[in-house]
Amino acid sequence: MLSIKNLHASVNGEEILKGINLEIKAGEVHAIMGPNGSGKSTLSQVLAGNETFEVTEGEVTLNGGNLLDLATEERAREGVFLAFQYPVEIPGVSNLQFLRTAVNAMRKHRGEDEMNAAEFMKLARDVSRQVDLDPDFLKRGVNEGFSGGEKKRNEIMQALLLQPKLAILDETDSGLDIDALQVVSNGVNALRAEDRAILMITHYQRLLNHIVPDYVHVLADGKIVKSGGRELALELEERGYGWLGIKDETATH
Amino acid sequence: MKAAPTLSTAFLHPAGQSLPEPLLALRKKRGSELVNMALPTRKTENWKYSSKYLKLTDDMAISLPVEGKGGNSLAVPGYKVAMRNGIMMPEASDYPDMEGITIERFEDLDDEAAAALAQRLDATLDLSDKKAVHLSAMNSARFEDGLLIRLKPDAVLDQPLFIIHEVSADASGSAYPRVYVDAGRNSKITLVEEFTSSGEDVPALVNTVTEFSLAEGANVTSIRLNLEGNSVQHVGATGVSQQRSSRFESHSVGFGGTLRRHDLQVRLEGEGAECKLNGVVVTQGKQHYDNHTCIQHIAPRCNSEETYRNIAADQSHAVFNGRIHIHQDAQKSNANMNNNNLLLHTGAEIDTKPELEIYADDVKCAHGATIGQLDKTSLFYLVSRGIGRRDANVLLTMAFINELVSQIPVEQVRDSVNARLNNFFDQAFQEV
Repeated sequence: MLSIKNLHASVNGEEILKGINLEIKAGEVHAIMGPNGSGKSTLSQVLAGNETFEVTEGEVTLNGGNLLDLATEERAREGVFLAFQYPVEIPGVSNLQFLRTAVNAMRKHRGEDEMNAAEFMKLARDVSRQVDLDPDFLKRGVNEGFSGGEKKRNEIMQALLLQPKLAILDETDSGLDIDALQVVSNGVNALRAEDRAILMITHYQRLLNHIVPDYVHVLADGKIVKSGGRELALELEERGYGWLGIKDETATH
Repeated sequence: MKAAPTLSTAFLHPAGQSLPEPLLALRKKRGSELVNMALPTRKTENWKYSSKYLKLTDDMAISLPVEGKGGNSLAVPGYKVAMRNGIMMPEASDYPDMEGITIERFEDLDDEAAAALAQRLDATLDLSDKKAVHLSAMNSARFEDGLLIRLKPDAVLDQPLFIIHEVSADASGSAYPRVYVDAGRNSKITLVEEFTSSGEDVPALVNTVTEFSLAEGANVTSIRLNLEGNSVQHVGATGVSQQRSSRFESHSVGFGGTLRRHDLQVRLEGEGAECKLNGVVVTQGKQHYDNHTCIQHIAPRCNSEETYRNIAADQSHAVFNGRIHIHQDAQKSNANMNNNNLLLHTGAEIDTKPELEIYADDVKCAHGATIGQLDKTSLFYLVSRGIGRRDANVLLTMAFINELVSQIPVEQVRDSVNARLNNFFDQAFQEV
């Protein structure tokens, strides 16, 4: 589904990604781990199409189509979804208005009729319950005054509404207490499907106890330095990153 | 040194002599005060950013005839008064027929009522600055007709009253609409003034003055919509005087043009009076819009709350100058002023100047002004969900003013504003 070949990207002239290679097939869940500053978030932002980052080399295809040629909104309509590490607060735009505009943009792209306000309201209420968000939040501004946990649940709710082909979850576990982690994990597990790929980016392996990945990759200094199965995450948990020759002051447990 | 250009004498010859004698006398007096007055220039503090857009050429001095095409105004159900080129049009108006409320043309007033009115006209406006022509004084020297709206004590108008000020012209000229609202004790009215033109390219100068006098406990909501065509030069003033415990609420929404200027002056003269002033300005192309507001806290324990937001696209230019003057006796004043500005394109310009003048020592007074662009991170967030660029820009721009638009208490006005905003977005975001 997703094929990344020799991807290089920089921001403000500084190279962050230095030749990423990664293949993800439909139905698979991949986890990318690595210390702070290794380029994990940059990879997710580049895939989603954040123009702050410049791709200097390499190619990325989604189901055979060149992803890098597409504008951010076109990538989204082709099925790329990024759950943000830091979801943006947008006062003055209600969640309901935001979500309905997004869902209808997707439907329009697929040649389907737009949902009217009443139909959408029903759908949104159902999905908000799935991630344990009070439907009242729909009336509030996008992420406005949300706690860290509510913001992350809102991201997962959006994924459930938009039904992407490729869901990229950037540090979705950060800032969550154990109950919120459970709710978010249930949401992500509900997303698992044969025709969908999930790429999880995380610093710690605790999320992987709840969402068990098929593959684990270690990213360091802009490159994938080791790949393996689930057991690689457990090994990292136990031994840290040092045995791979990676410095990480923050990963001591 | 070269002398500053003065107001052409062509502007000193009012048309329409059918007004009652006391009003003709007032007009004449104001006219004589304008003789040899300097035109505002960029060195005139009040006109620093707008003088270059003001064209007081001789052809503009001609009084626009009331005949001619019209009927471009909002189809309004309910109470409305149609004014064309400053003259009231009885056949196009629909008066409220209610106890305690009268709407009269200036020319229909008897001498006694006209004399009383002449005493009160201009009282809400500060015409003391004689360094340059005061455009409101020009209205007082030129008005040909006007509306006197009187509410007796406790009278409550049961639905909004619309005044449709339409300007219609085939050739250059000017119009001087004038309105005076006398709101008696504990009376209540919502007045919508819509300024419109019979076409986009009407080459006219509209110079308008509306005054509100609020007696004790009166409650007045003023909605002012500026929707005139691009070529109209609009110079308007609203003056308000408030007695004890009265409440004045203003919603001013304006779309830009070759020149748009509005001065809003509020005098809080009685203890416990309060005002709330909201303003939204939208400009595009090479348009201009200049709002000057001045709130005078004269009596103690008055509250004022002011929020103005400007959006400037393309190479347009918006100006906000907000002044709060707290007089020495106005202890326990509470004043809050906010002006937020959004630049949609790099060629646009917004100038903002909050001014506080405080002579009392026990007051709460706060002000804030911001200028910014649409937030790139927010835009990325929206488009990353498949939302198109135009829609994402519209959502964020609406978010900037929605709070103010949604507070306009008349649905029909909100709809009209939203329709105009959609036209604006189509042009402002056509290339994104």
